[in-house]
Amino acid sequence: MRQKLFAALASIGIALGMGALILLLEGRQPFEVYGALVALSLGDADKLAVTLKNAVPLVLTGLSASLAFASGPVNLGQPGQFLMGALAATLVGLSIDLPAPLMAPLLMGAALAGGALWAGVAALLRHAFNMSEFIVTLMLNSIADLFTAWLITIGGPLAEAGALSPRSPAIASGGRLGDIGAFNISIVVMALAAGAIGYVFHRTRPGYEWRMAGQNTLFARLGGCPVNRNFFIVMLLSGALAGLAGGLLVMAGPYRFIRGIGANYAWDGVMIAVVANSALGATVGYGLFFAALQTGALGMELLTAVPSEFIQVLQAVIVLVSVAGRGYLSALLDRLALRRLTRPSLDTRADTARR
Amino acid sequence: MRIAIGLLNGMLAGATPVLLAALGGAFTFYAGVFNIAMEGMLLVGAFCAALGSFFSGSWVVGVVCAIAGALGLSLLFILFAIVLKTDEFVTGIALNLFAAGATTYLLRQLFGVRGAFTDAGIQAIPRVDIPIVAQAPLVGEVFSGQNLIVYVAALAVLGCAWLIFRTPFGLRLRAAGYNAPSLESSGVRPAHVRVAALLLCGVLCGLGGAFLSLGYVRLFAEGMSAGRGWIALAAVILVNGNPWGIALITLLFGLADGMGLFAQGVGVPAQFTGMAPYIATLIALFVYARRKQGQRVGQA
Repeated sequence: MRQKLFAALASIGIALGMGALILLLEGRQPFEVYGALVALSLGDADKLAVTLKNAVPLVLTGLSASLAFASGPVNLGQPGQFLMGALAATLVGLSIDLPAPLMAPLLMGAALAGGALWAGVAALLRHAFNMSEFIVTLMLNSIADLFTAWLITIGGPLAEAGALSPRSPAIASGGRLGDIGAFNISIVVMALAAGAIGYVFHRTRPGYEWRMAGQNTLFARLGGCPVNRNFFIVMLLSGALAGLAGGLLVMAGPYRFIRGIGANYAWDGVMIAVVANSALGATVGYGLFFAALQTGALGMELLTAVPSEFIQVLQAVIVLVSVAGRGYLSALLDRLALRRLTRPSLDTRADTARR
Repeated sequence: MRIAIGLLNGMLAGATPVLLAALGGAFTFYAGVFNIAMEGMLLVGAFCAALGSFFSGSWVVGVVCAIAGALGLSLLFILFAIVLKTDEFVTGIALNLFAAGATTYLLRQLFGVRGAFTDAGIQAIPRVDIPIVAQAPLVGEVFSGQNLIVYVAALAVLGCAWLIFRTPFGLRLRAAGYNAPSLESSGVRPAHVRVAALLLCGVLCGLGGAFLSLGYVRLFAEGMSAGRGWIALAAVILVNGNPWGIALITLLFGLADGMGLFAQGVGVPAQFTGMAPYIATLIALFVYARRKQGQRVGQA
């Protein structure tokens, strides 16, 4: 555990060093840039609140991908499930108007259902026809993107009348998530969802079965786990998490479906799961970390004139270095540990020889 | 008749980049590399093509830059997946993210624009008229006057089929994926074969990317590859890497693309016609899965 943490921190350090090198080559001051990045994402309570709010979709889509990867299904459909969740929350929010205590859970339920449904399509095709969920979810991403784009396109069925950009009307006020102090309620929802999924995955019997299936399907099947049913359930849960991310984004931010709403988040989920090696705890950690980077990026652009797109490159470098470093560093550390273990015995042998 | 010719031309234009990327994917498929970085390679190729063409004013330089850019991504893949032995799937995902991030960043950094870059200074890849065929009615309209890269792609199918099935390299390539230990015992390093396959994949994806940004348009847009690399991957998996099968299936995708354009002409919203290639992929996957199921039943 400590070794893993050390490897992760070392990888991030190396990646930041490479980022600094890029900045130096462009004639900028790396420390100034990184300083601005930290100050503008974690500097005070307000900035921390923004970072945490931005972390909600990242952490949830990350958990969606991690849960799937760690349990077997290759669900790469977070972008589509995210959009469908956002769409479902918007649709319900537009058609029903209830007081907030009823409305907010209802919309979240709709978002969960929307994402689960879209993932369910892929799960069903896999179940009934043995079509690889890997490609199906990818294709469904593009289809969901085009479908939602059509709905809100100017003059489309869900478009706001008279709007100048593609967007839906705003949802009823009961479905809008307010703030507790500086912190948005969606952060609490995220924490609850992460806790719940972590509990199920690590502390219950179905979670154990999923983990076994993820590591070795044959073992799980021979042990008597309902592998096919578990596959289905994991796909639905994974889709629901991505859908919830979309729904919460609508409810906490613009209160409506806007073109490109998921563009910045959905693939990030897969990215975070990949860096975190599909471990749920690490997924939350990296989700928060990347949220801080992305939040700081906008301020960094204002202060230091480094384009905020630099963060996209930095993120990719972090992913590559961490992933490559994971195997390499742990092998290196093992060797170091081995040397430390063998050295005393050599010393004692020398001692005995001297005697 | 006009409609049919328009459809065929749309089919060729839609199929070409997918075909090139899929042929690249065929090499890595045979070599036993799970390469999902075609999407990123196409994107980098498209970006470098526009970049090279803009700064030099020559499409040749653009194409060379595209190949160099995609090869750069191949080298990164080789570094991580083969030298450092990182998981191939994870490497591919990371490289695709890197390609998307780097092109967006450089677009902003070099040209100061977001979204898309277009300029009169970007020179497009020319169309080629084939002397005798061009005079023929109907046939001439489809087989002559296409973009240079379309012909390159057609030749690439022949070249790949020859390389994979008729040369010692092809034999080693297939052995690397089929049974790497036995290849190793005959004195050939599978890793070297995989490196060669990835480099070939880079070249082909670079050409495909160049077609995207310099073929029928002269611009680079963020995320321009738009899932074509994934469709190419689906095509490779569907036909188990066979170049002829890839040609056939990517032409079918192209046809779906062309029919989409046609349907747009009769009032179907563009968003729905845009779904055509993805739905076609799903249908192809369905047919493939059914056939496989049938085979299994037949064997039992």
